[in-house]
Formats: sequence, structure tokens, C-alpha cells
Amino acid sequence: MTNLVTISGGLRRPSSTRLLADRLEAAVRAELESGGVAVESAVLELRPLGHDIMDAMLAGFPSEPLEEAFARLGEADAVIAVTPAFNASFSGLFKSFFDVLPEETLSDMPVLIAATGGTERHSLVLEHALRPMFSHLHAIVSPRGVYAATEDFGTASAGSALGDRVTAAAFDFARLVTSCGQRVRRDTDDEELAGMRALLGS
Amino acid sequence: MAPSPAPAMQFGVFTVGDVTTDPTTGTTPGEARRISDTVAIARKAEEVGLDVFATGEHHNPPFVPSSPTTLLGHIAALTERIVLSTATTLITTNDPVKIAEDFSVLQHLSGGRADLMLGRGNTGPVYPWFGQDIRQAMPLTVENYGLLRRLWREEVVDWEGTFRSPLQGFTLAPRPLDDVPPFVWHASIRTPAVAELAAHFGDGFFANHIFWPASHTRRLVELYRQRFEHYGHGSARQAVVGLGGQVFMRRNSQDAVNEFRPYFDNAPVYGHGPSLEDFSALTPLTVGSPAQVVERTLGFREYAGDYQRQLFLIDHAGLPLKTVLEQLDLLGEEVVPVLREEFAVGRPADVPPAPTHALLRERSTPGAGAAAGPDSDAKD
Repeated sequence: MTNLVTISGGLRRPSSTRLLADRLEAAVRAELESGGVAVESAVLELRPLGHDIMDAMLAGFPSEPLEEAFARLGEADAVIAVTPAFNASFSGLFKSFFDVLPEETLSDMPVLIAATGGTERHSLVLEHALRPMFSHLHAIVSPRGVYAATEDFGTASAGSALGDRVTAAAFDFARLVTSCGQRVRRDTDDEELAGMRALLGS
Repeated sequence: MAPSPAPAMQFGVFTVGDVTTDPTTGTTPGEARRISDTVAIARKAEEVGLDVFATGEHHNPPFVPSSPTTLLGHIAALTERIVLSTATTLITTNDPVKIAEDFSVLQHLSGGRADLMLGRGNTGPVYPWFGQDIRQAMPLTVENYGLLRRLWREEVVDWEGTFRSPLQGFTLAPRPLDDVPPFVWHASIRTPAVAELAAHFGDGFFANHIFWPASHTRRLVELYRQRFEHYGHGSARQAVVGLGGQVFMRRNSQDAVNEFRPYFDNAPVYGHGPSLEDFSALTPLTVGSPAQVVERTLGFREYAGDYQRQLFLIDHAGLPLKTVLEQLDLLGEEVVPVLREEFAVGRPADVPPAPTHALLRERSTPGAGAAAGPDSDAKD
């Protein structure tokens, strides 16, 4: 059983970010299932957590819904993370979620990165914003991310069509997730306690 | 009924010592004024029958209490009965030798009315200002506290560690009053490692209980109680627990909410964040009538068990002295007497009373019954 969590940082409804997230989720699930892996999948929308994320940043502790989101993410074996591109980077809401996420939640986590934007000129946001952040969080970032410009939702040219890119990225990611296997969850509280016990010699 | 000299549970106030602009008037007290207000609050706390006054320790503006034992020594001279404590004393950046000396003197001056709450401190730059590194906070805590325990318990100390110069043939002067070290609490906002440390030594554990939800406090206290028993200091329910809390009261609860809201909205640490209503639901903050404060506080026992010390934060965020003194009147007249009575109901006989100097002296006398622990583990 592989526990897949898809994070969507889209703001509007309907949201092209959510649309891309859903396509990636379906493609990854199909790849894993065709390899005989059972998949449990959930989507985590950040918009409903917007106030909770900012409150956590200001007050220093998470609300219950946010803590539940953290727990779901911590229990995942694989994560798909999709953000709109704002001002040549991820959206502030998307970044803020990871800024309040407890440390090590994503360590050793296979992550597929994806982004949406108005034009394809922002496609390198995957490489200069998303990939470094997830590397910093000690995630295992899948080599092939997916960027979708508005135009992509209306183009059908073979070879570089969005559908093909989604399929190719999902194929890579499914291989990565399968070879990583079930993720060993880290509990920083337990690690901290073990550190204290070692210092006390008990 | 006159307050007994050793109540089963201690009630008191703890101050952060922040100099904050009153958002309703725009006036900011000077440092001299904030310090004299703090002294007035401590005296009033004794006058209305509270058991404990505790001060924080900070080394940067806008806070004034950088030298807690100076403040507490002064208050000791102006009071007779109230226990003087800290919330917290920084075990990481203070030299343990100086902590031992300062609190030894305070014990003598106050006639045994001093104890202390140790904490690590979470203000990054304070560490380098005192020649330390916040990344070493945990090993610093363990090493410094190990030395502090020995200084209070051994006549002549030979010691060598990582973070401070070695000691050869060092004797603490003055010795602790009656050769009984001040009781030590370990305080934590978030970290379970502090609960482990407190349990290891059979010391008290104080959960800040202001900045995190009650569910978090429950986990910390449960861990501390289990580990206290594991280390052989007694049963889990005999572990010594203290809790913080934050209240604002008026006889009419809506008046309390209306009056406190601007202070809450602009408060340091959590101001401009969650609403007063959300924060009250998430954390133990109670803004309302004295009866509401009584009810909420009695509920703490449901997740912390029968405990020994309850401290309230009442004087921060720019609240004027007059208002704070009114809060103390309400605590003394309408809240604490009811809490004393209600908390006593159903409290098992083997739950120890709040630790005081008299109690510890009695326990340290050979043949005086259940001791606080022989401290044979102090050598490490």
C-alpha cells in the first residue's frame, strides 16, 4: 500500500493548479496500480488552510485542521506538490505552508514537483524555486517535474503536449516511489527524547 | 480559614516583565516604572493571599528582568510569606556557579522562600552574548544542571566539563539554607526533552501552558509522569507538576472581553495572529468572569492530573498597573479560594503537596519518612 498525498496551492475555483494536480495524481496512481501497487490517495488543498497557516506563523503553533494536514503529509509515502507561479516563484501561500510544517516531515519523501503559470516563460520556476526548497527539506525530488502554461490546456501538438509530459513524469515518479518503498516516518520528538536520554546516560 | 503555611497546591502569578505600550492610551511605561510596578504586583499578590510570585529572565529590550535574584531579593525584604520563584532561569547561558551562589543567598535572605524554574531560553542572540551556542542548548542544559546539583549538594566540588572552566576544590558559599537546595522546576513550552530531564532527577515539571494547545500540555505532562515513575521517584501521580495559564477577568464576562481585546490584539508574541476567540479555544487563555476562570482552571486537572502549582500571567501586553491589581483582587477574593477548595476534592492522599523549603527540610532529616530521593544519580 502506497500512501499518496497531493498538495494543491491553487487559489481560484476552478483552478488550473488543481486541474494539473488531479491529472498528475491520476497518472501516478495508474502507473503504480499497473505495477501491482495498491494506492491510497488524498488531495490537500492549501486555500482552506490559508488563515490557519498565517496564524501558525504568527502564534507559533498549528490549529487542529493544520495539525491534521501535517499528520497526513507525515504519513505519506509519496507527495505531489503543485503551485501556481507568482512573481517568478511559488506562491506565498505554498511557501508559507512549508515554512510552518514541522521539521523533517518531508525528509526522505519522494516528491513530484509541478507548477502552473500564465505563460511558458516561467517554466524554470520548477528548477530555481521548487527543487531547491524540497532539496533543502531533504525530500527526494523526482527528476522530471511538470509545468503547465495556460496555453497548454488548449494545445494538442504531439510530443510536447501536456498529457505526454504528465504521463512521462508519472512514469518516472512511480519508478522512484516503488524503489523507495514504504517510507520510514521520522518523529522529531522521539529523536529529541533519545538525544536527552543519551546525554543523561539513562 | 487562614491560609495554611504549606498548601497542597500553590497559586500565584508569573511575569514576563515586558515594557509594552498600552494600546488603548498609547502610553509606554519607562523601565523604572515597569520595575516598580512589578514590585507592587508581587506585594499585592502576597496581600491577596497568593502563594507564589515568579519573574522571567530576559536580556534584551523590551524586557526589564535581566537580574531576577536582585528583583526577588528586594521583594523578599518587602514580603513575609510569598514564595519567590523564576519563570525561567536560563540554565544554558548563566554560569551554574553564579546560579548556585545567587539562589543560595536568596534562600538565606528570604528565609527559605526561594525556588527556581529552569529553562533553556529560545532567543538566539542571547547565547552568543553569553559566549554560548543555541545549537548546543541541550548538552549545555544537562552539563550545567549536573554541575548546579553538585554545587548545592557536595561540600567540595572537583568538576570538569565541556562548556566552562574546570573547578578544583570549589566550595559554594554560602551553603544552601539548612543544607537544603532550593526546589527546582524544569519549564517547557514545547519540548519533551525537558520533561525527560525533570523526570530523571525527580524534579518538578512546569508546562508553560500559554503558547500551545492543551492537547500538547497533556502529552508533555503524561510523558513526565510516566518517566518520573520509570526513574523510580514514586508513582506517576506523585510527580510534581506546575502549569501556567493566562486570564483576564471582569465580573461581567462581556466587559472582560471588550476590555482585554485591544491588549490581546496587540500583544507581543501572538498579537495580530489568531482572534481572541480562536486563541481562547485553542489555548488555556480565559477571558471572562471569575466563575469562568474557576471552571476552566479546574478543567486543567482532567488532562494534567492532580498538580502542585498554578501560575497565572496577568500583567503583560501593556495592561496598566491599576488593572493588574484589580485582577489580583479578583484572583484573591473570588478565584483562588474556590480553586483551593475544589482542587482538594478527590485529591488522592498520596499526591504530594507543593514543595516548600520546610517540607524539603523535613524530608532531608533522617527518619522523617518518604524522602524526595537520595540523589545518588547526581554524580553524572
